[in-house]
Formats: sequence, C-alpha cells, structure tokens
Amino acid sequence: MAEPIVELRHITKRFPGIVANDDVSLSINKGEIFAVLGENGAGKSTLVSMLFGMYEPDEGEIFIRGKRERIDSPRYATQLSIGMVHQEFRLVSNYTVTENIILGLEPKRKFLGLLPYVDIRKANNDITELSERYGLKINPEDVIENLNVASMQKVEILKMLYREAEILIFDEPTAVLTPQEIKALLLVLDGLRDYGKTIILITHKLNEIKAIADRCAIMNRGKLVSILDVKTTSTDEMARQMVGHEISFTTEKKPAKFGDVVLKVADMSVKSITGYEAVKGASFEIHSGEVFALAGVSGNGQNELADAIAGLMPCSGGSVILNGQDITRASVREHIEAGIAYIPEDRHNVGLVLDFTLRDNFPLRQYYSPAFSSKGVISESAFNEHGQKLLERYDIRSSQGGATITRSMSGGNQQKAIIAREVDMRTPLIIFMQPTRGLDAGAVMNIHRQIVAERDRGAAVLLISLDLDEIMDCADTIGVIYNGSINKIAPASELSVDDIGLYMMGVGKTA
Amino acid sequence: MLDMIIIDGLSFALPLFIMAIGGIYSEKSGITNLALEGFQGFGAFTGAIAVVWLSGIFGPSSQVPYYAGFVCAVIGGGIFALLHALLCIRFKADQVISGVVMNILAMALTSFLTKSINASLFGNTANKFMLGASTRITIPGLSEIPVIGAVFRDIYPFEIIIVVVALVMWYVLYRTVYGMRLRACGDNPHSADAAGINVYAVRTVAVFISGCLSGIAGLAFAYSVSANFSPDIYLGYGYLSIAALIFGNWSILPSLGACLIFGFARSGGAAIINQLGLPSGYNDLVRILPYVLTLLLLVFFSKHNHSPRALGQIYDKGQR
Repeated sequence: MAEPIVELRHITKRFPGIVANDDVSLSINKGEIFAVLGENGAGKSTLVSMLFGMYEPDEGEIFIRGKRERIDSPRYATQLSIGMVHQEFRLVSNYTVTENIILGLEPKRKFLGLLPYVDIRKANNDITELSERYGLKINPEDVIENLNVASMQKVEILKMLYREAEILIFDEPTAVLTPQEIKALLLVLDGLRDYGKTIILITHKLNEIKAIADRCAIMNRGKLVSILDVKTTSTDEMARQMVGHEISFTTEKKPAKFGDVVLKVADMSVKSITGYEAVKGASFEIHSGEVFALAGVSGNGQNELADAIAGLMPCSGGSVILNGQDITRASVREHIEAGIAYIPEDRHNVGLVLDFTLRDNFPLRQYYSPAFSSKGVISESAFNEHGQKLLERYDIRSSQGGATITRSMSGGNQQKAIIAREVDMRTPLIIFMQPTRGLDAGAVMNIHRQIVAERDRGAAVLLISLDLDEIMDCADTIGVIYNGSINKIAPASELSVDDIGLYMMGVGKTA
Repeated sequence: MLDMIIIDGLSFALPLFIMAIGGIYSEKSGITNLALEGFQGFGAFTGAIAVVWLSGIFGPSSQVPYYAGFVCAVIGGGIFALLHALLCIRFKADQVISGVVMNILAMALTSFLTKSINASLFGNTANKFMLGASTRITIPGLSEIPVIGAVFRDIYPFEIIIVVVALVMWYVLYRTVYGMRLRACGDNPHSADAAGINVYAVRTVAVFISGCLSGIAGLAFAYSVSANFSPDIYLGYGYLSIAALIFGNWSILPSLGACLIFGFARSGGAAIINQLGLPSGYNDLVRILPYVLTLLLLVFFSKHNHSPRALGQIYDKGQR
C-alpha cells in the first residue's frame, strides 16, 4: 500500500563554509503528510528547496514516482506536479487573487477570433470553483495588497492546486498565523490528504506535527537523525531528538517585583509612512521590573508603535512619558539620552551597519560622548576596549573578534551583538521587537533569560513579538494589539494562548 | 491662433507620448529607463540614414523613404536598446548608470557616425542629414468642425502611425498574456519566476520595445522640430517623456494627459510670444515651459504616485 512518490538517496548539499545537507536519504509515500522537523539552520529548507528545483544537490539522486529526475528549476518541478508554499509569499501585490493564481497558465481567448486576450471572467469562475472544492474560501477579485496573511497563504495554496500539483511542500506555514488560523490551515491540509495529495510539511512546532502528520523526519545540523511514526512517538521524544539533548521550554523566573511607572503611553496615535493611522489611541504603562509583552498579528501597528516610542517616527497624537519626562516630540538622540534602548525588528537595516566592524557597531549610540571621542576625533582605543568588553561579557562569537565585519557573522551572533549594545547601556526602558526571529532554540533561550534578567535588574521591558510561545514565556503583563488599538491588557497569568489568539483576531473588544 | 496651438501641440505631444509608452513598458517590467533620450536619438539617426539613402533612389517626391525611415528608426532604436538590456539584465549593471551611459554613448556615436557617413557616402562635410519637409495631411470633413477641427488639420503622417501603434501597445500591455506577465515582473519577479515565467526574456523584450517606440519618437522630432537629423536632436525630450510617465503613474492613458499638457504648454507659450510681438529670442524662454511645468507637477504628484515595486532592482534568480 505504501507507494513511495518521492525518494531522496544520499543527498549532500554544500554552501561555502557549511554542509547544509549531509548524506540524507528518505522516502515519502503517496497520500501522507510527511513532516520535516528541525531547528533553524538544520537544513530543512535546503532539503525541500532541492525538491522544488531551487538548488541542485551536489551529490545524490532524487526519484519522483520511481523515476530518476534532475530538477533544475521550479518550472520543471511544477511539470512534475510538485508545488511549494514559501515562507515569504511570492505574490504580485497589485494583482487580484485570480491574476496571481493564473499567472503563467493564463486561459486565453481570441477577440473576434483574431486578437488574443486573457479570459479573466472564465478564470474567476475557475478559481471560485477550485476554492470551494478545497475549502479555501476567498474572493477571486480581491487585490492581494488588501488581504491579510492567512488569505495570502490561501492564494499560494490555490496556486499549487490550479497547477494540479500532487506533491505539496509547505515551508513553515504556521509561523505567521494566529492560533485560530493555524487550526483552519491544519484542517485544510487534512482535507488535501483526503484528496490524495502528498504533503511535505516543514516546521519546528511539535504540536502541529502531532496533530496531523503521519510520519516525521528529524534533522539536526544537516544530518537526518531519524524518521519517526508520529502516532507512536511522544512530543518530548521528538524534541529531544531535534535538539540532540534534553531541553526545557520554559524560562525560569522569579516572581516579578513591580516598581514605579517608567513608561506611560497615553492615547498615542502614529501615522504610518504611507499615511494611514497605524496606531490609534494606544494607552499603557510599564513599571520598573515588569515585562510588558505586546502580542498581535504582524502589521497591526506594532512597528509604528515601537518606532514612535523610540523616537524614530513622530506621534500624530497623545503623549509618551518616560520617568515623568515628556518625550513625545523629542529627537532620537534625546530619546537615547532619556534612557531608551531599542532592539529593532530589522536587525540588518536598522540595528546594525553591516559593513562596519563589530567594534564600530557597538558605540553607535554613544560615539559622540566624552568616553569615546574628544573634540570630534574618535578614540580608537576606547572603541577597542568597549568592543572587547562586550564580546566577553555577552559571549558573542566572531571570527576575528572586534575587527570582524558584521555582515559576515551569523544571524544569531548579530542579534547578540545588538542586544549587548543596547542592554549594556543599562537604560530604564528596553524595547525588544521580535528579538528571536529566525534564531535557533539555544539562542532563543539565551535571549529570554536576558530579558528576564533585565527585568530583575529593575528595567521596564517592552517585548513585542508575533510568537505567542515567546510571549507566554517572558511576559508579566500581556497587551494585545489589533488594528492599531490595544484590545486587551491583563496579567499574563490570567490569559491563555487561545484567549490571546481571539483578541489578536479582534474578537472581544473589552479593554 | 488656437488652431496653431492645437496643431503644434499635438505634433509635439504625440511623439512624447509614444516614447512614454516605451518607458512604461520598460519600467513596468522592472527596468529603470533613463535611456529614452539616447534611444530616440539613435532611432532618429538610423531612420534619417534610411531616408537620405532611399531619397537618392526613389527621388524626392516619393513617400517610400518617409515610411521606410520610420521602420528603420524602430529597428535602430530597438537594437540600440538591447545594449541597455544586455547591461542591466545579463550583466546586472546598475540601471541608472547604464541609462546615463546609453545617453552619452548615443550622443557621441551618432555625431561621429553622422559626420563620417556624410563624408564617405555622400561626399559632404555636414554634421546633419537633411530630411526635407514632411507632407501634411488634412482630413476632409472632420477638419471643418469648429475648434476641434484643428486636430484633423495639417497632420504629420507620423501622428497617425503613433496613434495606431499606441492603441496596439495599450491592448498588449493590459489585455494579453505577455502584458500581464510583464507587469508581474515589475512588481514581483520572484513570483513571476515561480509561475514559470522567464523574467529575463520578458524584460529584454520590454526594453527592446521601449527602444522601438522611442525610435519612432526620435524620427518624428527630427521631422517636426528641424526637418533634419543632427546632434541637436538631444534636447531632453526623452527626460520629458519620463516625467510624463511618472505623472501618469506608469499608466498609458494618464500619461497621454501629461504629454498633452506638455505639448500645449509649449505651443501655447510660443503663440503668446508671437502674439505679443516679442523678439524671437524669447522663443528659447518658451522652450523651458514644459520643464518648469515638470518641476511644478513633480511637487504635486510625487506623493501619490507609486512606481512598480521591483523597479530598478536587479533580479538574480539564485538569490532568495
């Protein structure tokens, strides 16, 4: 009965300085949900990218339906009826749902039997029918840029189905969804299996695998650790194999001791770059010794809120008070000097100057102070000493110490460097924006510990994250932002993940 | 006087418009095109050679050189544009720099070639090709309508060519498979690639088309502005058409509006100078009118217009 549809034999793929996949062999059966589990950097994405023709393996062979294939382009993968939903969606933002789906396979007609044109009316009908058959309800004439993330994902799935894909690859499909949306997606995946589709699901979330997968391959540092039958394996066992040792998923923390109010945001409004009101009358307070975590679906005003508190964007209304001082209209430098540290979401463009050395990146917020320069001339020795101190104190790994070009470092160490720079200023308020995005479990634990340590030192911490596990792990108080307004504020102990998910969707408008 | 404004305005606005459509093709596919100026100059150059050469064969009264000239302008502009495509797409050069280089190259190359071709083929030392005056067409009946009738009076034949080509280009861009793919490449080349579209090919063809259309504009300007081809053709009309397509928000119809405004500003200004009896030196002042207008419109339109999302980004298949 188990008929292999995909077979990988001794696949090895190297990138400069790293072996992404090391002699991986596995076979996937028709009609099953096959999960690939591993930490960031374990080589999951690389492995399936080769199935979809984005890379070619250096060694080894790929068999599709028993036939050896050289998949050298996504186009050829599509011909083999393999489809993939990438982490970053590949959609044309000013096109409608239908136009995106039919792109490359447009139904054509001839006007007066002569002039060829794209038959959009027929396409719309086809897409409506397709979306109803697979339970992916969507309006084919909506324009992509007006859709939310979950709907865009539906479009990506429909794109594969329109091309009659039989092997569907999902790369971390739930990373951007709310708990309710995740449930809906898992139902859809289940339905697709009933239609006989083969599903390859990349994830690092164990409960999702447990919920729907049939079998699960575990990868660690490019190597295949094992292939498990999901029904008979516990999540603890999967986790142990994934990391290679026992890990605890929760950060140890002492009960919080709240002090005075450090940050008071009152009725704050912020206009986004494109001019619409991204934050609408947000109010909250953070005390000394408190981690205030702000949950929400991406794009609900979190970026603007954080940027406005840090002074990078102007407030269009309301006020920001730090330790009794009104900093609503202060400049960025005044914000820094008032005592705000900011770990931004975009570590490459906002957090670091990538082509600077590590030691030049550290004093970016203080270089002008007497400690680092005098009369406009920079003190190289002060830069060196400061760099050395931070490298040791925060355990930042780099090939050439302080002289390392930041661009060449791993994402985890870049993030460590930013956190070191910001935390070391010992400011009364620290803003962490998505601090662990794209990092592996070890680094995540480390950062969570640091967040809690800062709280215990007496800092007020604002943690903004899309990851609910992170929020549950660190927060003393949880606020939920929806459509620019803070929907709910409550002590962390009073909210469950499901509650937060509902508020994230805008349900339950009680403040 | 109103007649003159309409007639001169249209003969200036339409070449500008066809060149702007060329720019829209290139930029909607994601390739920044500052090279329109060079494309039109080179197209005018190849067209003018054809006209001069064929006039010698068919005689001055034949219409063949005129139309063959436009065909050659299309081919010449297109081939020259392929150089821009090669630099930007194949060699992944910076598109702004490549565009500027194309303009300088066109200017230098055509002045040099004009002189040496004149010397070797026609045995004179001029730095220009004389084209002779273009015939003008007046459509009977329609041209009798009060005021609007001027639209159909004293038309250069190239104006009719441009209107027909513009209609075809509109249909191709908004109704056909190729047009849909082209616009997708300018917004998100990765999604186009994932849909099995050859992004490089689509963009190369788009840049080629922009050269072809600019070639038409170039020869049209050569006929209407000076009745000859000389390096004086590089008056910045290419840049003006870029301004027009930006005001037109990278759409064909609104760009036509912008071109008409520029055209009538120019002919209207000239008419006023004429009416006031000012010395002809003031005509130079009038020539800057479209550019002053450009500055003003930029202030108002820049905020609301959005360029194609992937415009100017080098697309590298391997990069994720």
